[in-house]
Amino acid sequence: MTRRRTARALTAFALATLPLAATAGELNILTWEGYADPSFIKPFEEASGCTVSATYVGSNDDFAAKLAAGGGVYDVITPSLDTVGMMRLAGFVDPIDTAAVTGSDGVYPEFSKHPEIVVDGETWAVPLIWGSVSVIYRPDKVTGTPDSIGVLFDPAYKGKISLWDDKSAIYWTARYLGFPNIFDLNDEQLEAVKAKLIEQKPLIRKYWSSAGELTDLMANNEVWVSNAWTGLTSKDVNALGKGFTVAEFSPKEKAEGWMDSMMLVKGTPNQECAVKFMSYMQSPEGQCGIAKSTGYFPVNPGAVSSCMDAAMKEERKVDNIDFVKSLVMWQQPVRLDKYLEVWNAVKAAP
Amino acid sequence: MRRPSSSMLMTAGLFSLPLGWALLLLIVPYILMIAVGFWTRQFPLFVPDFQFGNYLQLFSDPQYTTVILRTLKIAAMVTGCALILGYPLAYFLVFTIRSDKLRNLVYMAVIVPLWVSYLLRAYTWKIILGTDGALNSALMSLGLIDAPLDAFLYNQTAMVITLTYIFVPFMVMPIYAVLENIPKGLIEASEDLGIGPLGTFRHVIAPLSLGGVVAGAMMTFCLSFGDFVAPVLVGGPDGTMVANLLQTQFGAALNWPLGSALATLVLIMVLAILAVTGWAERASARNLR
Repeated sequence: MTRRRTARALTAFALATLPLAATAGELNILTWEGYADPSFIKPFEEASGCTVSATYVGSNDDFAAKLAAGGGVYDVITPSLDTVGMMRLAGFVDPIDTAAVTGSDGVYPEFSKHPEIVVDGETWAVPLIWGSVSVIYRPDKVTGTPDSIGVLFDPAYKGKISLWDDKSAIYWTARYLGFPNIFDLNDEQLEAVKAKLIEQKPLIRKYWSSAGELTDLMANNEVWVSNAWTGLTSKDVNALGKGFTVAEFSPKEKAEGWMDSMMLVKGTPNQECAVKFMSYMQSPEGQCGIAKSTGYFPVNPGAVSSCMDAAMKEERKVDNIDFVKSLVMWQQPVRLDKYLEVWNAVKAAP
Repeated sequence: MRRPSSSMLMTAGLFSLPLGWALLLLIVPYILMIAVGFWTRQFPLFVPDFQFGNYLQLFSDPQYTTVILRTLKIAAMVTGCALILGYPLAYFLVFTIRSDKLRNLVYMAVIVPLWVSYLLRAYTWKIILGTDGALNSALMSLGLIDAPLDAFLYNQTAMVITLTYIFVPFMVMPIYAVLENIPKGLIEASEDLGIGPLGTFRHVIAPLSLGGVVAGAMMTFCLSFGDFVAPVLVGGPDGTMVANLLQTQFGAALNWPLGSALATLVLIMVLAILAVTGWAERASARNLR
C-alpha cells in the first residue's frame, strides 16, 4: 500500500516535471534596449520553459561584428530592415519556416513580404516592431517650436547637443544639406556632409551610443537636443520626474523610419525556443508588451486589437501603415564601407 | 645517441606548460594578427590576401595620425600627472611616515582602489564632474559660480583626470619599492657631509629612484595609451583614442584587416617605447656606477 502510494506520487512528480524538462531550454537574443523587458519576457519564460538572456546592441553595425567574432552565442537577432540582407549574405542566419511561427500571417504584408525579407521564395526574417527616429528636445530650454534638423546644428545650443553615434548621422546631415539621395551620396556630397559634421563637433557635448546613455544625458542636464529613437528616451526621461519634460518632433526634412525583425542565427541549437519566441512576439502579449516597453509601433495589427485602446492605436499607427510614406525608411547605403569610413573620420577629427 | 638525462627531462617538464602557453596564447595570436593585417576587406566580410593597402590607408588618411598623436599626448599627460602626484606620495610614505603600521595603512589605501572595478571608478568621475555633479554643486554652494559649468566633463581634461586617478597606483608602487630599498646609510652620509635635504634628494635619492620612476612611467604610459573606457565614459566628441579606433574596426566597421594593421602598428610603437625607456634606464644605471 505504502509502496504503491509512493510509486504513484513518484509517477505524478515525474509527469509534472516531464513537460518542463522536455521543453526547458535557453534562448540568447542579440537585440535592442527595451526588446527583452521583463514585463513580457517573464510570462514567455514561464509559458515556454525557455530561459531568455539578452545582449544589447547600440547600432545595426554591431550585429555583424558580434556574429563575426564567434558564433554559437546568440540564437535570435533583431536587426533593422537595412541590415537584414547583409546578415543573409554573410551567412550568419538560416531561413525561417514561417508556417511554424504562429501569427506571423497577421503582419503587414508591406513588411512580411518585403524584398529584403523574402528572397527567392525563402523567408529570412519575421517582423517584430517598427518606428521612427526623430528629434528629442527640452521645450524649456529650446526657444520657440523647432521644426528643422537645423536645431542640431544651431550654435545657440553649443555644448548642449547630442547625436547618435551611428552612420545615420550622415543621413541626418545629408537631409539638412538638401541631398535627396541619402543612401547613395557621391564623393562630393559625402565630403560636404563630413565637413558639416566636423563643423558641428564643437557644438556636440557627447555622441550617444545607447538609449540608456541618451536618457542619462537628457536627465542630467548634459544635453537639451538630440536625435533619438522616437518614444523610448522621451518615455524614460519623462518617467524620471526630473522637474522638466522632453518632447519630440519630426523635422520638416523628414524623420527616419525603421523596422526591426527577428532572424534565426545559423545552426542554433535552440531553434525550438527561437521559434516559440518568434510566435510569442506575434501574440497580443508579445506585440503589446514590446510596444509598451519601447513606445514603438506594432507590426501585427490583429494581435494588438484587444490590448490597446483607441487612443494608443492612433498614437502607435495601428492600421496606418501609410505612415511609412511620411518617413525615410532606412536602406543599406550603396557604399556602406565608405559611409562607415566617413563617420569614423568625423569621430576621429579634432 | 645519448639518453636524455633526468635533469633535462625535468627542465622540459617544468617549462613545457608556460612555454606552450606563451606559444599558443601569445606568439600564435600575434602572428595571426600580423597576417590578417594584409588581408582585404570585401563586403560583407573580408578575404585572405597579401597586400599593403591597409597600411597605406593608415598613413594616407589623416584620421589615424590625428588619433595616434592625440593618444600619445593624453598618455604623456597622464604619465606626467601621475608622476607629479605619485612621486611625492611614495616619498612621503617612505621617508616621512615613521610608524610602520601607519605606512602600511596608507600604502594599502593607495592600492585598495585597484580592487574596485575599473568601470565603476571611471563612472564615478562622471557623477563628480557632470553638469549636475558633485563638483558643480560644491562650487555653487560656495558661491564661486552662479551656473553649473560644462567644462569638467566630456572633454580631454576629464579623460586625463580619470586616467590619472586610475593609474596613479601603478606609479606609486615601483617608486615606493625603490625608495624603500635605498640604504639609509647613504642618506645619512650625505647629511653628515653637510649636504642639505634638497641636495641629498638631487644627488642621492633622485638618481637612485630613477629605475622606479622609469618603471612606473612605462606602466602608466602603456596602460593609458591602450585605454578605451575613459574616452567612452568621460571623453567628449574629440576624445577618440587608438583603442577606440581598434574597437570600431573590429566592431561596427567590420574591417578586421585594417584593425589588425592598426594593432600591429600600435604594437611596434609600444615596443619602440619600451626599447627606448629600457635603454635610458640602463644608461642611467651605468652613470651611477
